[in-house]
Amino acid sequence: MSERIVIAMSGGVDSSVAAAMLKQAGHTLIGVTLKLQECHDAHGSKSCCGVDGITRAREVAGDLGFPHYVLDCVKDFEQLVLQPAWQEYASGRTPSPCLSCNEKVKFGLLLDWASRLGIPRVATGHYARLEKDEHGKPMLLRGRDAGKDQSYFLAGLTLDQLNRAIFPVGHLRKPEVRDLAKDGGLPTAETPESQDACLVAPGESYAEMLRKHFDAPARPGEIVDEAGKLVGQHDGFHVYTIGQRKGLPAGGPARRWVKAISPETGQVTVTSDASELVDTEFVAKQVNWLAGDLPALPLACSVQVRYRHASEPATIVTQPDGSLHVTLKTPVKAITPGQAAVFYDGDRTLGRGWIG
Amino acid sequence: MIYADYNATTPLDPEVRAAMNEALGATFGNPSSIHSAGQAARRLVDRARAQVAGLIGAAPDEIIFTSGGTEADNLVVLGAAAAPLGDGKGIITSAVEHKAVLDPCAFLQSKGHAVTVLPVDRDGIVDLAALEAAVNTDVALVSLMLANNDTGTIQPVAEAVRAAKTIPVHTDAVQAAGKLPIDVKTLGVSLLSFSSHKIHGPKGAGALFVRYGTRLAPLSHGGRQERTLRPGTENVPAIVGFGKACELACTRLEADARRVAESRDHFEAQILARLAGTRVNGGSHRLPNTSNIAFAGLDGEAITINLDMLGMAVSTGAACNSADKTPSHVLVAMGQSAAEARSSVRFSFGRDTSDEEIDRAIHWVVQAVNLLRGVRL
Repeated sequence: MSERIVIAMSGGVDSSVAAAMLKQAGHTLIGVTLKLQECHDAHGSKSCCGVDGITRAREVAGDLGFPHYVLDCVKDFEQLVLQPAWQEYASGRTPSPCLSCNEKVKFGLLLDWASRLGIPRVATGHYARLEKDEHGKPMLLRGRDAGKDQSYFLAGLTLDQLNRAIFPVGHLRKPEVRDLAKDGGLPTAETPESQDACLVAPGESYAEMLRKHFDAPARPGEIVDEAGKLVGQHDGFHVYTIGQRKGLPAGGPARRWVKAISPETGQVTVTSDASELVDTEFVAKQVNWLAGDLPALPLACSVQVRYRHASEPATIVTQPDGSLHVTLKTPVKAITPGQAAVFYDGDRTLGRGWIG
Repeated sequence: MIYADYNATTPLDPEVRAAMNEALGATFGNPSSIHSAGQAARRLVDRARAQVAGLIGAAPDEIIFTSGGTEADNLVVLGAAAAPLGDGKGIITSAVEHKAVLDPCAFLQSKGHAVTVLPVDRDGIVDLAALEAAVNTDVALVSLMLANNDTGTIQPVAEAVRAAKTIPVHTDAVQAAGKLPIDVKTLGVSLLSFSSHKIHGPKGAGALFVRYGTRLAPLSHGGRQERTLRPGTENVPAIVGFGKACELACTRLEADARRVAESRDHFEAQILARLAGTRVNGGSHRLPNTSNIAFAGLDGEAITINLDMLGMAVSTGAACNSADKTPSHVLVAMGQSAAEARSSVRFSFGRDTSDEEIDRAIHWVVQAVNLLRGVRL
């Protein structure tokens, strides 16, 4: 049945193909590109402020024959995504802003915007699948292309958000998407991969870019080893993340990793013992269950502690304060506070919590 | 498509296109060149200058060609500050001006110039008493638009000229030109800017009327063109088109205005009658083609996009979060709340708007508004 659908278009190949597929299926499309950053914030890099993306999305919408609007989300994005992300770095944690962006912007503000137009559904080019369970409830499944699967970034959505989402390319593999784009003559067929790169200026860490954006002070301090022995100095702990090897002082053991960051003292602790980085348990807070209700606990499932990571078998139990205690079957390296822990049952995404 | 956004831009008149085609062909010379090819181009520019002057009752020598309304406005505001027209360096303007006037004024203010922004009443009419009170010897220029682009409200410019006494007055007539009869002599202004593409001419051409004896400094330097006020080789084809558009506007203005006013009035009356919670912004003294309507409780952007999907072009801003959307500074200056201002949509009709299109427009607006009012998600 033909319906009116808002398609979020980044100007990349995935959302372009998603649009082409929906158009092919006979739907009435309203293309939208979210403008997330002012151009002058982007250090002169065109791709960062999205101007490139806006132009390409407009071209695709024009070729496919549907209207395209640019929504100015600069202020909202700053408040809802960038500011909280910086707060995490400033607290010695490593944020996952892509999850916040999906929860609050793409399936937050954009869904609200669609609602105001009287349009119930929003489609994106995410690699994830939606299927109904036996009760008709939507289930979020991993994308068919294991290398591109983006269910991790969508695990914070609510049942209502899932009910209104469409992911047309989730059952495709990336090469198939590129082929569809080429066959359809889409101008975005050859666009480079942009995922996870939005907002990163070349040669600069995301954390440092945020610090400059908010004109926040860097917090320099000491780098010490596990025994508390001074190893060197750093210019600000925000650029470090647990398990990081790069950017540490030369000399000493050949291999060293960041083991802990203390926002109180500004100290960054390093270890040369890789086994010090692994853990078998952690706490996940502010948990979201995609089905809307709490599953029966303790629950045996698998858990993914960051985006580029294979999921590991785990058991989760609830704690008196409502947070979850997660016990992994095998130890996992660099479980990082601030990252999302996403729970799966096979391909089905169950929910996410923030690693405490 | 029903095009109801004539205040944004207008389609090129076929006669204008024909005139431009001629200028795009053999007559490629540089109007400043001494030879015959240059002379031929110069003659085209001369003829256009006379046509443009004719639309506003000016002498051809008093017309400076620019790239458009924005450049003409900037030339006035910044040029007046650089070469004081009056005795001072201050500027008086109004809160409902186009950004092409307000932004250069704000720029001057940041450089230390005194800028007075006159308030307007609920209909958007400037407060002349405030103007009289603000007039003093330190003021170089008064800039007050002839008709507002958002609401169509017509300002008492001739009265403002009297209130300004000896201070030169500029009027931004970008929206008024071609829609209202204009005579710079009766209006009494020293400067008047207007644009080609608002009157069925091409984009990229505009004009500034500079009354004989009015002092102004150029913004760019490097040539003798346009009395050195706007140096650079003339955009001959666009100027030729602009000239033709002015000539056409001159001959058909009265009949067009009467007809479009009838259409607009019918549209307005029908919308107000068929939809509760609607109100027209901008009072009764408005341009004949403009209708700015508030739809209580609705988001003007949502109406605009729904109409676009139906196939009708109207105007508002676009933003991610409706609460953060910058509302029209014109409606806010008229005392409206941000929510009221955001509920408004500008409809502007033109010489090609047919009766059948007006009827369909009424039907679509009613349909879109009822759809949005029924939305419960």
